[in-house]
Order: sequence, then C-alpha cells, then structure tokens
Amino acid sequence: MDVEQARQDLCRRTLSDIQRPLDRLIYLASMRDYNTGVYHHDGLASRFTEEVACEALADCHREAFRELVICPLAELVSQLDAYRSSTHTSPREFLTAWGRLEPYRVAVPVQTDPLSAEFLFSNFKIALAVLESQLDSHPAGLTA
Amino acid sequence: MIQLLFFFFIGAALLSSLLFLSRRGDPRAEGDSRVLLEARSALDALQGNLLPEQLVQRIFAKGDLDYVVSLAVPKPIRDLFVHERKKIALSWIGQVRCQISSLKRFHVSGARSYAQLGLRTELELACHFAALVVACRALRLAVYVGGPYVAPRMVGATAMAAARICTISEQSLAFLNPVQLKPFASSSLQS
Repeated sequence: MDVEQARQDLCRRTLSDIQRPLDRLIYLASMRDYNTGVYHHDGLASRFTEEVACEALADCHREAFRELVICPLAELVSQLDAYRSSTHTSPREFLTAWGRLEPYRVAVPVQTDPLSAEFLFSNFKIALAVLESQLDSHPAGLTA
Repeated sequence: MIQLLFFFFIGAALLSSLLFLSRRGDPRAEGDSRVLLEARSALDALQGNLLPEQLVQRIFAKGDLDYVVSLAVPKPIRDLFVHERKKIALSWIGQVRCQISSLKRFHVSGARSYAQLGLRTELELACHFAALVVACRALRLAVYVGGPYVAPRMVGATAMAAARICTISEQSLAFLNPVQLKPFASSSLQS
C-alpha cells in the first residue's frame, strides 16, 4: 500500500512533467546507483521510507520500459530526436556518442527479460540509423 | 575359446553400459523438484515475457517496415531493419520452443507424481505439444527464409497454441502458487 502511495506521489509530483517514456526511462535509470542497483530519491524517501521509495522508483522504471518496448518504431525515432533536442547537443555529436557508447543498454531495469531488452536495443540501433540518415540527407531537418 | 569370447563380449557390454550411465548428464530422479521449478519458471517466462499480445504484435508488426520504407532511407538501413527484426523474431521463436520443451519435460517425466491429470487431458496435451513443436519448426524455417513478415497467421497460431499449453500447465502447477492465508487476527478472534 505504501509503495502504491509512493508511486502515485512520484507520478504526480515528478513524472507528470516528463511526458515521453524515453525521458522517464533515462531519468529513472539515473536515480539508480550503478554499484548497488538501489534507487534513491531524497524527497520521496523523506515522505515515505528509503525502501518504499526504492520500490516505487523501480515500479515506475519498469513501467516506462514496458511502454517504450511496445511503442512503434516511428514513435521511438520521434522520442529519440526530441530527447536529443532537449539535451542541447549537436545532432551529429549525439548520434555518434549514442552509436558508440550505446547508453540505452544501462538504462533498462534489472531483471528485464532478455528478449524485451534485446528488442528495445535493436529498435534503438535502427532509430539511430534512421536519424543519422535524415541528418545526412537534410542537415537542418532534425529538431534543433 | 568360444566361451572366452562370449565372456569378453558380456564384459565389454557391461562396461559400455556403465560408461553410458556414468556419462549421462544431469540425471534426475522421478519427482525431482527441479523439474517442477523449471516448469514454473518456463510458465512464468511464457506468460509474462514471451506471449503478451502487445509484444508479439510489436515484434512482427509490418507497420514498422512500412515506416522505414516510407522514409526512403538508403538500402543498408532497410537491410539493417530487416536483419534486426529477423534476429529478434528467430530469438522469440527459439525461446518459445525452449520454454515449451521445458513444460513438455515436466508433463512427460513428472506430471503423474505431482498432479492429477486425466488421460484425456494428457492426450490433449500431447497433441498440443506435437503441433506446437511442428509449428515452431515451420515458423522458424519460414522466418529464416522469408523474413519476419512472411507468415503472420502462423505467428498468431503459434502464440495461441503456446497460450493453450500454458493454461493447461498452469492447472497442473497450481499447487505451487502461494496459499493466501487468512489474516491471523481475524481467525484467532473467531476461534
């Protein structure tokens, strides 16, 4: 019950401002300690407990992942372009970094089933290739 | 001499049987709980990860191919898309087959020890398993040769057949589900 309340609190106060599942996935992955796999959110932990906050963040992370896995490729390309635009990075620099570092691989929740994860990684790979091709053909075509 | 040869052959036969038995990998006793746990985990994987309709539809969605074609991107990107989808589709088929084999092992080797399956149910299951294994092989071949969008109906039929097996297996494995205990306080008040 506490976890559900914490989840609703997180959705209302924080996640409602993050519309796109990709942005939510990256935001929630950034709340996770890479060494321990534990999620931290000071505000949520102060209103509930560390454990409840961690569980609520993990729930929301899994939900964002599920939303992204089942979204059509066209939508993923659009979300990726919008995310790139929100980082104020140049399109070329962003696409090169994402193509080489594949940061999306560390953004998935733990205990994700391998097929869903591979499917999402595969879609990211294609989305990056599509954006790169659009950048090559219309350098001004991507959102600034 | 003939007697010597006879005993020699018997000795060789016994030795080879011993070798065969000792090399048999991971021998499991009838009623081994590992078979049960493996079946439970296969059922969870199928129902939770592999068979949800939205995921299956997305993997085999032709709309994504139409989108890539509509963009008029260079051929290498179209090829990359088809290659990636084919890889995922083959992986899905392989994993469904693997988990179904796990459930089949449970029904073949251990079902009688744990569950009260009737003859009719067992026969029905045997037919479903046989049909599904054939369907998986045919689908794999079709996707391998013709790509991920070559047999959408076969994908649907395979997913439905797998779901039917899951439903039957779930009944056999129902006793592994955690029992919902009544709240302690209320039961003690009543007594």
